[in-house]
Amino acid sequence: MASSAVVAHEIRSEGGFLAWLLAPQRRGPLLVAPALIVLFLMNIFPLLWSFGLSFYNYSAKKRDVPDFVGLRFFERVITDPTVWERFKTTAIIVSSSVLAQLVIGFLLALLFSKQFPLRRILLMLVLTPMMLSLVAVGVFFKLFYEPTFGLVSQAVAMFTGDRFALLGTPTGAIIGVVIADAWMWSPFVMLLVLAGLVSVPKYLYEAAEIDRASAWRRFQTITFPYIKSLLLLAVLFRTIETFKLFDVVYILTEGGPGSATETIGVYVYRLAFQYFRTSQSAALAYIILFVVIVLTSLYLYAVNRRAQEVD
Amino acid sequence: MADLIVQDVVKRFGRVTALDGMSFEVREGEFYCLLGPSSAGKTTMLRAISGLEQLDGGRILFGGRDMAAAPIQGRGIAMIFQTFALYPHLTVRGNFTYPLERAGLPAQEIRTRVGEVAELLRVGHTLDRLPSTLSGGEQQRVAIGRALVRRPQLLLLDEPLTNLDAKLRHDTRAEFKRLHRELGMTMLYATPDQLEALTMGQRVGVMQAGRVVQVDTPRNLYAAPQDTYVAGMVGSPAINLVPGRIQRRDGAFAVDLPFGTLPADAWRIHLSGGEPVLFGVRPHDVLLGHHPARGPAFTATVHLTEPLGDVTLLDLDVNGAAMKMALPEERALGIGPGMPIEVTLSAADVHLFHAETGVRIA
Repeated sequence: MASSAVVAHEIRSEGGFLAWLLAPQRRGPLLVAPALIVLFLMNIFPLLWSFGLSFYNYSAKKRDVPDFVGLRFFERVITDPTVWERFKTTAIIVSSSVLAQLVIGFLLALLFSKQFPLRRILLMLVLTPMMLSLVAVGVFFKLFYEPTFGLVSQAVAMFTGDRFALLGTPTGAIIGVVIADAWMWSPFVMLLVLAGLVSVPKYLYEAAEIDRASAWRRFQTITFPYIKSLLLLAVLFRTIETFKLFDVVYILTEGGPGSATETIGVYVYRLAFQYFRTSQSAALAYIILFVVIVLTSLYLYAVNRRAQEVD
Repeated sequence: MADLIVQDVVKRFGRVTALDGMSFEVREGEFYCLLGPSSAGKTTMLRAISGLEQLDGGRILFGGRDMAAAPIQGRGIAMIFQTFALYPHLTVRGNFTYPLERAGLPAQEIRTRVGEVAELLRVGHTLDRLPSTLSGGEQQRVAIGRALVRRPQLLLLDEPLTNLDAKLRHDTRAEFKRLHRELGMTMLYATPDQLEALTMGQRVGVMQAGRVVQVDTPRNLYAAPQDTYVAGMVGSPAINLVPGRIQRRDGAFAVDLPFGTLPADAWRIHLSGGEPVLFGVRPHDVLLGHHPARGPAFTATVHLTEPLGDVTLLDLDVNGAAMKMALPEERALGIGPGMPIEVTLSAADVHLFHAETGVRIA
């Protein structure tokens, strides 16, 4: 024991790079370093680099030396009517999908806040879509909607005798995308609302019953205040997420028919990897990032308010 | 008119029987207390009267009307909960007007009533605040106000003082008595605390395992508990119970106790001799010193003294039997553990119970 301590002491006193590196005060940072390096190379560097690129005229397909063009691409993106079209499409999909998730999630939460046989098993089943990968959900629904042998088409054919291609019309395609997205994320809203519902003390409902309050008044004055902030969180969180919608749309419709379901996310992808307008796509991506940051700050503000209310 | 009659009420929760043939009557304008330990079924009884629980048997009549069919809203009953159950997202004013919304009263009338209640309970300054910003005592008064604003014929109170500190409990006890006197309303008050029941109730129903076992005025309950259970529930500190046996000597009855013999001739018509009994004496009826006129004296050893301020409790060993006595603080000065003292049992205030059934012999 004593001799090994002496050896260790010698190594330390003799110095050398390795001994310096392994000194106790450096071990923590050393252990974190690999993760930091990967994070920097894969996330932070590309982020900064693409931000830089958005001020240059550059295409990933060409070997030209990029020239500095300042805010030209930002200007082009903002004045591009196509971009505004895509924003509009995104807004329609986001608002209908989030609304559907809210309504379905809320009703599911009301259902599951009661006790009934098989509740736990049903709850697990209802939560499953949320756990699936986006790509899997996209493929599921692509098969559901498939006009030749898809379930939806066959079900409709039983009544009309004709096959049915939901994704064939612009409106149908939007509905198809919204259904897939709402199917996947309503359980998330349900979880949040359920958490609010179970936090309502039961005695308040009993007091209200003795106080002769109507069911609507009870909801308005007791239930709703308890779930209000959680609903707000659900709306913001789902808006932020749906705003970035890409996978499901890309697999289901690739943005079609025409550009009916081409969300802003799909459009950025096209700009970057189909048209190779790298700088322009970078500029647009940063504008989207800005929008998401604004939404996120709203979200965090709501989270904090909720935390204060709970205190 | 507002007589409340509870007849043979049964309520089960799964395999647990919460109310097991519960019967009692509350007179109009009476302050009636249900006294019982925490699982005796007090809360279930109040909830059954209010309509929050359906009965499994028996019936509840209020003002001559069977309540089983009456909807909760139509019963003319208000309830104060142990948790206060104030609506946290409504202001005090909102809490007050809540029970009035369905009554279809003109706005002027609602304002008047809220004003009256706020004044009666001295919460006028809090009307625009949320309940969470109020002190415990203020929350309690708002809860009372919300119950009173409807002018109910019957007010149910479910352990309303449990969540208050000792000082506030004392004040609120006085407050309830004042409200009862001023409003003349029928009040049914459930509590596990014998002090609350004895100080406020005009009559007290003592509950045991889902039924009322004795109903009487506080004074009579204290003086003549019908069995050891009631004797133990009523009075603080709790009554001393010492096992003994009845003896017949020269035609006279006496109780043989571990520390001596006590004449029991007063109960002779109920005795045959030889039966084992429980002898009960309240700590306040154990007297210090020798009082030949009051009863026989015994020698005891002091185990422990508990000064409570105005009164000191002594834990005694009377020839092997443990007993407590209560002394005024100034008389307990100079008495310490290990000291032998002489005590007299006040013969007029002792109780005899059957050892097996616990029922009072007289």
